Amino acid sequence: NRKHLEASLRRTMAELGEADEAELQRLVAAEQQKAQFTAQVHHFMELCWDKCVEKPGNCLDSRTENCLSSCVDRFIDTTLAITSRFAQIVQKGGQ
Amino acid sequence: PQLQHFIEVETQKQRFQQLVHQMTELCWEKCMDKPGPKLDSRAEACFVNCVERFIDTSQFILNRLEQTQKSKPV
Repeated sequence: NRKHLEASLRRTMAELGEADEAELQRLVAAEQQKAQFTAQVHHFMELCWDKCVEKPGNCLDSRTENCLSSCVDRFIDTTLAITSRFAQIVQKGGQ
Repeated sequence: PQLQHFIEVETQKQRFQQLVHQMTELCWEKCMDKPGPKLDSRAEACFVNCVERFIDTSQFILNRLEQTQKSKPV
């Protein structure tokens, strides 16, 4: 089955013209972006689930939703704050 | 096309397994106090809620991120 796949892949690559290659690159870039976004959601999920969900109930109540919104926003703020502060320190260190 | 299908299926299987793994860890934390001789009905109900709330939460965060990206692209 693996040999079959390799042969299929080789055929596909051989058939690619220049325009197809550009299209393939675009597809790969799109898939990468999707994967990155999914990883982001996964990451936020791990962080904010702990902070905001105590005991899972029948629905997401408004307090939990507010907490989740805040969680996402504050994490982004935190990342920006730390990034800029660290960049400052590195810059000063360079001089 | 055959290769594409194969990759899609494998990717989907992998994603499913990852989700199950993540959910099991998170829900164990929230729903399991002291492991007893069997899975009692309270824990079971909690697990059901947990899976559903997990999906709700993921969707909520996804929407929130999309909103945030639209207003201030990072």
